[in-house]
Amino acid sequence: MNEEQKARKKMIEVKNLKKIYRMGDEKIRAVDDVSFDVMDGEFCCLIGTSGSGKSTILNLLAGIEKATSGEIILRGKNIVGMSEAKLAGFRQSSLGFVFQSYNLIGTMTALENVELPLIFKREKKKIRRKKSIEMLKKVGLDNRMDHKPSEMSGGQQQRVGIARAFVAKPKIIFADEPTGNLDTKTTVEVMTLIKQMAKENHQTIVMVTHDPTLTEYADKVIRISDGKIVETKIN
Amino acid sequence: MNLWDLLKMGLRNLSRRKARTALTVVGVIIGTVSIVSMVSIGIGINETFEKTYMENGAMTIIRIEQYSANFDENGNWAGESKQVLDDNLVNALRGIEHVKAIAPIIDQSGQLKSGKYTTYAQIRAIGRDAFGEFGFPELTYGTYPSENDYKKIVFANGTLQNFYYSSGRKYETKVVDPTDEKVTFVFPEWNYQKNPRKKDFKLEMNPGKGNFAVMAESDNWEYNSTCYMDMAFFKEIWKEYASTLTVADRKRAMQVLESYSSIYVNVDNIDNVTDVQDAIKELGYGTYSDMQYLEPLQQTSNMIQIVLGAIGALAMLVSAINIANTMVMSIYERTREIGIMKVLGCKVYDVRRLFLYEAALIGLMGGIIGIIISYLVSFGINKYGQPIFAAIMQTSAVYDVEGAKFSVIPFWLPFAAALFGMFVGVVSGYIPARRATKISAIEAMKSNQ
Ligand SMILES: Nc1ncnc2c1ncn2[C@@H]1O[C@H](COP(=O)(O)OP(=O)(O)O)[C@@H](O)[C@H]1O
Ligand SMILES: [Mg+2]
Repeated sequence: MNEEQKARKKMIEVKNLKKIYRMGDEKIRAVDDVSFDVMDGEFCCLIGTSGSGKSTILNLLAGIEKATSGEIILRGKNIVGMSEAKLAGFRQSSLGFVFQSYNLIGTMTALENVELPLIFKREKKKIRRKKSIEMLKKVGLDNRMDHKPSEMSGGQQQRVGIARAFVAKPKIIFADEPTGNLDTKTTVEVMTLIKQMAKENHQTIVMVTHDPTLTEYADKVIRISDGKIVETKIN
Repeated sequence: MNLWDLLKMGLRNLSRRKARTALTVVGVIIGTVSIVSMVSIGIGINETFEKTYMENGAMTIIRIEQYSANFDENGNWAGESKQVLDDNLVNALRGIEHVKAIAPIIDQSGQLKSGKYTTYAQIRAIGRDAFGEFGFPELTYGTYPSENDYKKIVFANGTLQNFYYSSGRKYETKVVDPTDEKVTFVFPEWNYQKNPRKKDFKLEMNPGKGNFAVMAESDNWEYNSTCYMDMAFFKEIWKEYASTLTVADRKRAMQVLESYSSIYVNVDNIDNVTDVQDAIKELGYGTYSDMQYLEPLQQTSNMIQIVLGAIGALAMLVSAINIANTMVMSIYERTREIGIMKVLGCKVYDVRRLFLYEAALIGLMGGIIGIIISYLVSFGINKYGQPIFAAIMQTSAVYDVEGAKFSVIPFWLPFAAALFGMFVGVVSGYIPARRATKISAIEAMKSNQ
């Protein structure tokens, strides 16, 4: 299998995905019949205005939210209807997350935060320590390992978030507005970091953003509006 | 997640809210101390009972004495009455259910002489069957009276230790070994008038004849200070002795054989002692038994235990509610954290364990500190509790004993208490922990974002 063929393997397949919220009598079609594929190693960007349904799609892909109908096939496995326990196991082995608001645990140091996914995977203490330290070095925080999130800047916190998302070397990484709370300079740093790390391990990325300037980092850009795909562009 | 990670995380979360954790732990401490104290007092009192009663007197024995104390309906002493203890009574007693053995007893004073030394010997004549029924001690010499070999005196160890000689200013004591030294048994001269024309009555102890035995030292003072004799043998020597007296006193002496000094009744089981006592009372005879003293004591001790147990149970219930409340608050505060953990791949099973371990840690800490305090309380009770317990028990009979313990913590109790604390924690943490597992990751992460 050469690089070309490998890249063509489907990592994510979304078929006729729907998510309808009911607010009293009103139905909100947050995701309205969306279908798309993401290839192995691809960097896919979902872009759209606020309220267009991007985050909902991402949450559905991650199994955090339950789809109303449709199929989501990750690494050949349909996660729609998967049990909570199986989903947790699947997240441990295959998924990583980067959040807009970092979502670090405030009582833990940077190192402990990065270690968390490995703790859930029951990795040996020595090994997970080593991996986490290595990861923090990669994101340039080797001198902040014992700091609590409250003692770090937004950019630093997001780099801890990235280290945490990548530490278990998942095949797929989801990022919801990872730079949404950061200034322009830091945004570039963080985006470069994500892109570089994903490339190193041949990981697939699905990123959500409303910022058109970030689409330049992506291989594929999917534009969402009112819960529907309005445009797909390959860079 | 492995055990260590769970414990570490639990401790971290508990230390995050120190005051709240401390208050919750205090609840468990109070519960633990009450319960451990209750159990330790129960055990302590039982041990003391056993020491003072089980060892010094057989619990299943009922005594019917010639003089019976009377009490009015308020339990106040109302004089004594003399009751006739004869073979009619013995036959009546045979008919009572649960009576295992009956031992009519005649008590007399005797004297032992060895050279210039002498000692007083309390003599108790008893049916020969009784030697196997009433918990007699081992013998250091000889055998107990039996069908074919009943003509003997069984010496108490204490009696043989107390030979003395006194004349003028000199007073000497001596331990006499009858297997080695010449010992003679006589009845004292001061009770009855001797007929000067008759030869004195005396009984020479002779190892060759096997007419004596020696009891080993016993915890039961009665066996340590009373010499025993078979009833038939006593009657024989008493008649012989009476024939050496003056005519008037001979008649008086023979009356000794017509009624017993006391009758001992052995009951088949401790639980039946009170029933048998009641049955004897119906025959019109007053009785004594160790159970009689023990029963109110045990009732009081049970009451103390029930009160402490109730306090302990209440304290534990309150602290269980406390723990549950603390866990609910803690889960509420950490909703978002739980959501994040779930998204990062934490299994539902681990979320539940995380909170259960935390609750168990609260229980365990309370249990351990509670045990430490319980040891102090137990020490205090044993050191200063004597007057209190004597007052509560309305008798000093038991608790005058040197070194009597009111609170005993056996080696298993601390472990049981720690486990129990943990158990209370787990039980009260269970529902909150289940609630934590139900938290939806998406809702959790949306909250205060
Ligand atoms: N839990 C919910 N209940 C009701 N409506 C929701 C819920 N979550 C999202 N929505 C609605 O779905 C639409 C898409 O939301 P979202 O995916 O968060 O948009 P985006 O991330 O693109 O800003 C919005 O109209 C939002 O109001
Ligand atoms: Mg969004």
